[in-house]
Amino acid sequence: MYNWRIIVRNGLPLLTITACMEIIAGQLLQVEETLLVSLPILLVSIPVINSIGGNLGSIVGARLASGLHIGSIEVSFRDPELRDNIIIALLMGFITYFILAIGIYLFSMFIGIEVRNISMIEFMSIIISVGFLLSCIVILVSVVTAVISFRRGIDPDDMVAPVVSTTGDLMGILFFLFLLQIFGVGI
Amino acid sequence: MHAMVKQSLPLLILCGFGAILTGTAFGSMSKIFQSIPGLIVVIPGIIAMRGNIGTALGSRLGSAYHLGLIDIDNLWNEELKQNILGSLTLSILVSLIIGVLAYLTSLLLGVQASLIKLLFIVILGGLISAVLLTILTILIIYIVFKKGLDPDNITGPALATFGDIITMLCIIASAYLVEAVV
Repeated sequence: MYNWRIIVRNGLPLLTITACMEIIAGQLLQVEETLLVSLPILLVSIPVINSIGGNLGSIVGARLASGLHIGSIEVSFRDPELRDNIIIALLMGFITYFILAIGIYLFSMFIGIEVRNISMIEFMSIIISVGFLLSCIVILVSVVTAVISFRRGIDPDDMVAPVVSTTGDLMGILFFLFLLQIFGVGI
Repeated sequence: MHAMVKQSLPLLILCGFGAILTGTAFGSMSKIFQSIPGLIVVIPGIIAMRGNIGTALGSRLGSAYHLGLIDIDNLWNEELKQNILGSLTLSILVSLIIGVLAYLTSLLLGVQASLIKLLFIVILGGLISAVLLTILTILIIYIVFKKGLDPDNITGPALATFGDIITMLCIIASAYLVEAVV
């Protein structure tokens, strides 16, 4: 049933598109490399910000996909169950970023990463702000992706995870660098 | 609604703590980022590639199990071999694309990167992490079969958590190897 050539042919187009988007994310990191390297706690934070964003979007997407399949969620943005899902996801995002902001700071101190140039309050404010902005974006992207792919007859389960994790990586890094500028970190 | 919070929130937080380890590995690369221009550019791409190819392999093997194409007594068969060959080929091709794109976009932005070094790092790191994660996937599938669980519920989160950290370590190892050899 499976043939390696078909697996490659089916996988390559989407993987190439995501690779191009991730290269943009990577170039953003390279542009701000001097700042990031001077404060390694910022590098520690990036996979955490992106992992939470991607997972949150995938959870919302998977729940919407199931709801759409069994018909408990209408293909409408005014559906009450959809609204509840979004509010709960935003709340879960806030709690998770809050806990992880403390986690990253304490862990970095514990393993001896330089944190003197950034206070715990300042660091937490940045991570929680980035987390809130990113939660809004990944939830929006996953709802739109799930509804559009469902309307077009594509299984949302195949589409949501790659789309959300890729836009989440890019927007997460963008918001993070933006807020570092706003808070004047490293200046 | 309560069920969503109860089931998802602990996993979300746990995966976040797992990502701190990936981040620590990332943070430890500060010096080598400065000595190999362009290296930091490939990191998000390689991590995302590993995640996408790995979860696709995991979910295909889950489906193959449900379809009865593979089972515990007949795990190492043609279906599994084709799946492994497919995901290894994809890993090499996409690593190559990422390396070339990182080199070209850096050049465009005025950063002189070394194409040879970047390609060596992404292909070696991409391939080694692919092999390690394929072995891990088969191991997880084997254990899941033995216990009579549904692979669909286990392989995704397990692979995502181990995948990022293993990939990051493979890239670090390849980068230091290149610095020592080239």
